[in-house]
Amino acid sequence: MAANLNGANPATGAAPGDTFTLKAGLAQMLKGGVIMDVTTAAEARIAEEAGACAVMALERIPSDIRAMGGVARMSNPDMIQAIQAAVTIPVMAKARIGHVVECQILEALGVDYVDESEVLTPADDQFHVAKDAFTVPFVCGCRNLGEALRRIKEGAAMIRTKGEAGTGDVVEAVKHIRTVTSEIARAKAALAEGGPLAIAAMAREMGADAALLQRTAELGRLPVVNFAAGGVATPADAALMMHLGCDGVFVGSGIFKDAETPEHAAKRARAIVKAVANYKDSKALIEASIEHGEAMKGISNAGLKEGERMAGRGW
Amino acid sequence: MPPLTIGVLALQGGVGEHTALLRRAATHLPSPSTPGDFSFLEVRTPSELAQCDALIIPGGESTTMAIVARRLGLLDPLRQFVKTDGKPVWGTCAGLVMLAAEASATKQGGQELVGGLDVRVQRNRYGTQMQSFVAELALPFLGEGERPFRGVFIRAPVVEEVMGEGRAEVMGVYGEDIVAVKQGNVFGTSFHPELTDDVRIHVWWLGQVVEAARHGGLPVVVGGEGA
Repeated sequence: MAANLNGANPATGAAPGDTFTLKAGLAQMLKGGVIMDVTTAAEARIAEEAGACAVMALERIPSDIRAMGGVARMSNPDMIQAIQAAVTIPVMAKARIGHVVECQILEALGVDYVDESEVLTPADDQFHVAKDAFTVPFVCGCRNLGEALRRIKEGAAMIRTKGEAGTGDVVEAVKHIRTVTSEIARAKAALAEGGPLAIAAMAREMGADAALLQRTAELGRLPVVNFAAGGVATPADAALMMHLGCDGVFVGSGIFKDAETPEHAAKRARAIVKAVANYKDSKALIEASIEHGEAMKGISNAGLKEGERMAGRGW
Repeated sequence: MPPLTIGVLALQGGVGEHTALLRRAATHLPSPSTPGDFSFLEVRTPSELAQCDALIIPGGESTTMAIVARRLGLLDPLRQFVKTDGKPVWGTCAGLVMLAAEASATKQGGQELVGGLDVRVQRNRYGTQMQSFVAELALPFLGEGERPFRGVFIRAPVVEEVMGEGRAEVMGVYGEDIVAVKQGNVFGTSFHPELTDDVRIHVWWLGQVVEAARHGGLPVVVGGEGA
């Protein structure tokens, strides 16, 4: 159980393990839910009314970040505060990889979770943020188990797949969760056959902490909650990611991109919430797919040039 | 006694954590109960709810749970289960909000509730995640001389008012805040025992469920109407 992963936070003076219990615990309370990217208070209200379990406040949705180019940074605090004032569900916000000060600002704003995100332009090409030093919890993206465990070692209390944000193409998110799942299976086998020595060898190979890898092998899953993200555009996409073992789903551009009206966006949002809550129920998925209507147009991941990929940011 | 089916409402939130602790708790009950006396069920549909003798509403986002429950046609069956049938129900955090007759600090336009406890809860009483905390709680119902329970409070609600004729009994406080409350077979806690290794409240609650079943249900005290 994720709650029992001990990770003391020296900054808060809380009893060892308590701070991490609180951080990971909030993510546990988001399971089975949908976290939606929103850029205005009005969009945040649409998300809340549709049943989103949290919103991600950001200045532009990933597909627009992709289209506009330039440097993508933390959102304006003004806009984050307006969203915090508009809704009662948790509000998350994104900071650039390695940008400690953006994280400090977001923590001071009282956001409920910080996403140290490859969707923004990285600020540090050496280090991710030392997340243990913060009271606010962090979620980070991963493409594989080694990357997930490196982020958890730094203090991340929630993991998501990177996928390829802003494309509406789910293939990369599928690849990332499949990779994590198969590597966990390999770690379980290694532990069963070779014990701690085999785990240590595998940890070296994937650049991960051996104790965390062993714990993952024992649990048979990541020691924190793991959501899908990056290219989820339709109710069927969202249900697919649940089917593949994700604990919940981030939907970035898929709600508001190319939505004809706010009501269309609201329908999409409701449909994706329904699909995640009922991902095993084909009848509910039919209803959700009808309600969802036309999806964002999207761009095929296969057509992206290497420099256009966000998932390669971070390490 | 035939096996009792204990449901965990699985619309969203910390479902597996409760199920895991329930399974452990079942092995801690005094005889004549045995683990085989229980089966555990994740509840997503009215027909699954109908199989249950008792139910846990877990932590999560209460707005999400209410909206999803409405869309799945579960709200009225839940109200029937709690208030008409009087079956034992325990809500933690968001679950406590769902079981309250009234809630404040809700989203614009309010939110739908199941009811069962004649109380008004205040959502997010302590603020955002930055104000989440762990605190030692003295919980007399666990028995005299029991060590404190480590209460995990995450964006937690509290009972801000016991309404009506005070039929809801205060079962635990943190400072002056009411964080555990019981009315008839309906029990609610602000905090998350399911995020700890401490099985004591789950053991106590399963004991209550067994008692209720032995007596064919305790006298039903009908709670608030919900929103």
